[in-house]
Parts: sequence; C-alpha cells; structure tokens
Amino acid sequence: MFRTLHRAFHSLAWLMAVLGGAVLTAVVLMICLSILGRTASTILHSALVEGAVPGLAVWLLDHGVGPIRGDYELVEAGIAFVIFAFLGWCQITAGHATVDIFTSRLRERSRRWLQLAIEAAFAVALVIIALQLWDGMATLMRRNTTTFLLQYPVWWNYALAVAPAFLAAAIGLYMAAVRAAEAVLNRPLIADPHGIDP
Amino acid sequence: MSNLEVGILSFPALLVLIFLRVPIGLAMFIAGYAGYWVVTGSPSMAMARLKSASYSTFSNYSLSIVPMFLLMGYFATIGGLSQSLFRAAAAFVGHRKGGIGIAAIASCAGFGAICGSSLATAATMGRVALPELKRYGYHGGLSTAALAAGGTLGILIPPSVVLVIYAILAEQNIATLFLAALVPGLIAAMGYMAVISVYVRLYPDRAGVGERVAWGERFRRLLAVWPVLLVFLAVVGGIYGGIFTPTEGAAIGALGTGLVALVNGGLTFRTLLDSFTSTARSTAMIFFIVFGAAFYNSFLALTQVPQSLSDWVVSLGLAPVMVLLVILALYLLLGCVMDSLSMILLTVPIFYPMILALDFGMSPDHVAIWFGILVLIVVETGLITPPVGMNLFIINAMDRSTPMIETYKAVMFFVASDLLRVLLLVAFPAITLFLIP
Repeated sequence: MFRTLHRAFHSLAWLMAVLGGAVLTAVVLMICLSILGRTASTILHSALVEGAVPGLAVWLLDHGVGPIRGDYELVEAGIAFVIFAFLGWCQITAGHATVDIFTSRLRERSRRWLQLAIEAAFAVALVIIALQLWDGMATLMRRNTTTFLLQYPVWWNYALAVAPAFLAAAIGLYMAAVRAAEAVLNRPLIADPHGIDP
Repeated sequence: MSNLEVGILSFPALLVLIFLRVPIGLAMFIAGYAGYWVVTGSPSMAMARLKSASYSTFSNYSLSIVPMFLLMGYFATIGGLSQSLFRAAAAFVGHRKGGIGIAAIASCAGFGAICGSSLATAATMGRVALPELKRYGYHGGLSTAALAAGGTLGILIPPSVVLVIYAILAEQNIATLFLAALVPGLIAAMGYMAVISVYVRLYPDRAGVGERVAWGERFRRLLAVWPVLLVFLAVVGGIYGGIFTPTEGAAIGALGTGLVALVNGGLTFRTLLDSFTSTARSTAMIFFIVFGAAFYNSFLALTQVPQSLSDWVVSLGLAPVMVLLVILALYLLLGCVMDSLSMILLTVPIFYPMILALDFGMSPDHVAIWFGILVLIVVETGLITPPVGMNLFIINAMDRSTPMIETYKAVMFFVASDLLRVLLLVAFPAITLFLIP
C-alpha cells in the first residue's frame, strides 16, 4: 500500500524533473539558435556580403535570419517553469542543504519528531508559495499587462509556473505525512532518499 | 522593540533554526516571514510580496546560468572529459615525486574550467583519480585531502556558480568577476601542487611514483583534452570578449559539452535522464536558498539593519584592513559548519555595504571585485575545513579504507595554503585586479 503510494509520488516528481530538464534543454537550444541567427545577421549586414551578393543577403534577412525575437523573455519564462518543476524532486529526494552537526547527537526518536516539524513547515511554505503565485497571476490577469517584445499577457508566464508550483506543494504535504508516519511508528519508511524501498 | 532591534535579533534566531537542521533556504524564508509579521503587525505585507517574490527569483535571467552550468558539468562528466584530463596530466608529471597527486590537482583545475560547481568537481575527479592514487601507493589521508582541496578549484577557477550569485548580490559584472578569478584560481592550483610536493618530501613513504610516459604518448593524451580547451575558450572567452552574455555562454557550454558527450558515446537516453534529475536536485536546492535569502534580505532592508551596521562600523574608525580581516575570519568560522552558497547569500548583503563604506584607496568597483574574490576563497575553504566540509564528506565516502580523521589531518596542509593565499591577495590587490580594465 505505502510502496504503491510512494512510487506514485516518486514517479510524479521524477517526471516533473525530467520535463523541467527537457524545457531547460529547449531553452539552451533556443539561446544557441538565437546567437547563431544574430551572428549570421551581422555577417549578412557586413559591407563585404552586401557588396558581393546583395540580393541573397536581403532575401535571407527578410526571411527571418537574425536573433530570435524576444529570446530574453523566453529564457525568463522557460527557466521559471524549469525551477518550479525541479522543486518536487528536490523535496522527495531530501536534497535541500542543511547543517547536521548539532542535531547528529539527538536520539533517533527525537530526530524523527524534529524532522516532522521541519518537513511540515516546508509543506506549509510550499503551499503558501503556490497560493500566492496563483494570487499574483490573478492580479496580473486583471491588469492586462503584456511582455515588452513579444506582447503576450504576462499572466501566461505565471500560469505556466502555477501547475508545477502546486505539484511541489502536494509533494511537500506528502513528505510531511511520511515523516509523521515515521515519527509515530518510530522506524524509517524511506531508507535511501533516492530509492523506493523502505 | 524597534524595527532595527527586530532585524538584529532575527539573525541569531535564524542561526538557531539552521542549527536545528532546518534547510537553510526554508530557515531564511521563515525568519523573513516572521520578521515582516513582527515589524508590520500582520502577515499581509509578507503575503503581498510573495505574489511575485518566488516568480521573480526563479525567472531571473542572470540566475538562469546556474542550471545551465550544472548541466554542463554533468555532460562533461558523462562525456569522459575528467578521464582524459587526468590521463594527460599524469603522462606529463606522473613519474615525478608526488606527480600523480599533482596530476590529480591539475586535472581538477582543468575540470574546474568547464564546471561551475565544487561538489561536482570533487565528485567527478574523485571517481577518476582516487583509484589511481591508491594504485600508486598514496597514503589514504593525502589522497582524499588532495581531491577534496582540488574540488574547490571547480569554483575558484571560472566559470563559477558562487561567483554568479555574488555578482547578482553586489550588482557587479559577471564577466569581470570571472576574469578577476582567473589568476587567483591558478595560484590556488599551484599552491595545492606545492603542498603535495612538500608533503611527499616530509613523508616519503606515503606516495609512490608513476611510470615515465614517452613524449609521443604524452602529446597523444594531450590531444584528447582539446574539447575541454575549446569549451572553456568559447564560454569564458566569448563572455569576456562581449560576444555574448554570461547566460548565452552557459548555454553554449552546455550544448558544447553535450555534443562532446554524444560523440564520445557517453550520452545515452539513460544518462541524459540522469543528468536531468541530478541537475534538478542541485538547481532546486540552490534556487530555494536564493529565494529564501532574497525574501529574508528584503525584510532586513526594511529594518535598515545593513545600513545601520555599516554606519556603526565606519563610526568605530578601525583600519579598513582590520575590518576586512575580521570579516574574512568570520567566514572561515562560519564555513566550518555551513555551505558556501548559503554563507554568501546570508552575509554579503550585510558585509558588502560595510566594505564599500570603508576607504581602501581603490575605486568602489575594484573594491567590490577584490572583496568578491576574497570571499570566494574563504567560503571555498569552508568546503575543506573540518568538521563539516562538504568536499571532505564526498571524497571520504568514496574511500571506505581511510578514516575521516586521516583526511582531517592531511587537509590541514591544504587549508594552510588557502590561508596563505588569502593573506597574499589581501596584501596585494593587484594580483586580482591587474587584468581588470
């Protein structure tokens, strides 16, 4: 029962991490394409090329050879999605940076309750972040502002980030529940942070 | 309680949370949230800020360098570049006294030039070089300590994730900071090599020597390193030459190492997914700390703590260098228990205005760059200072036969070389600044 549940959340978090990685790769490729276009456009605008093959240069430039329009905005929108998509995986694999030195001498049992308190606080924080992001999106929808270059509504960016933000919050709540069970049962349910089996 | 008092009291409260093992990003978020609540009497201001706080941190164009540099590091690892670097370095110096150890440091430095993270450099080079050091009879503590110290070159030699964060906090040019880090980074590598050659002379029984490699083979192995050189020149050269922004440089670096890994056969569907999930874990950790720190610092700014503290320090009339040395000592102390990124995010907003308010006889931009490089070195020393040096843990976990205490003992030599380098750079700012226009 627990194994199935954990596998489901684990897979969900993994899928989001991989999806985020795919979007990150897309952003990387987009940036490189834009640099390529910008370089090509500089060469085509140069006196040498415009003198030698003016027709070709103009034709290429007219057909969109150049930097990708609004690449800066696309990077920002893409990366925000990527980071929100990565949060859940970090949560379920216990990847956050901590200072362990002062708690390592605590008894096993006390450590489990402490861990529960921390994980619960983290879940609350993630829920607040997701809810306020939703609120921020609603505000932007009412204002009807658009991005500078591509002229699409700014709230679209937020809408893209809201889904992974809520998934991260759900994973945070699930991890708090796992820690609660561990504290009550006084035994580990998730042995290896990377693994599935308790 | 005045706002200023709340702000000052929030600092010990934050440390208590961190020492209770609350993740550092979360601890700063909680301290900021509670701080806003106490100062304004209700949570509404904190809530209002949170409508855009997470999104604006996560969508920051300059910060988007971080996941790309991390991805680049993972691609470099699966592309086998760490292996080629070590083989080339060992071919040239392996037959000398302490040569295999020196080769390990040199390959760490080479890997640092295409990887922006110390932990990744330590982990990658540890896997490659540790078995070799053991094979040539290197003492356990010396091997693990050398690789832990070598790992810090990942950050000390540009590109560097920590330097990106500092640049954003101090509103400095990332390209300029990368350039400034270059010479101190190379000095660091030479310092570690010197430590090894002194160590093997003090304890001759603790290291063997490798076989002499023929010159033809040496150059064949050196040729295998060309992708590293190409990627480094494209990324750092392009960024500095103004051909592209640091973010664009990071994208080119990620694509470049990805292509190298693809050609070398290291990049498969499986390893690609692993690179994604490893990048996800480190990236989310870093961004959550950055988010928590930004939120906490916006609360601190509201209470005017940074301003008041720097006014107070200036009013003391101490010698600027004394203040600087005290700050650097505080970093070393904090570094014994905390990781480098968290330290930078936690303290730079407080110390930076203080340093800028003092007169070091340089332009403010130069002071900012100089201070940044000094801070970079002392927080990196934190990665190898006992008891909680992350690099020590990473390398020691790879070598079950070496007790932690042996690593601790040997690493003190490398820590000493770090301290010497800090003093050198404090005494001669020109070492850091002579390349800067």
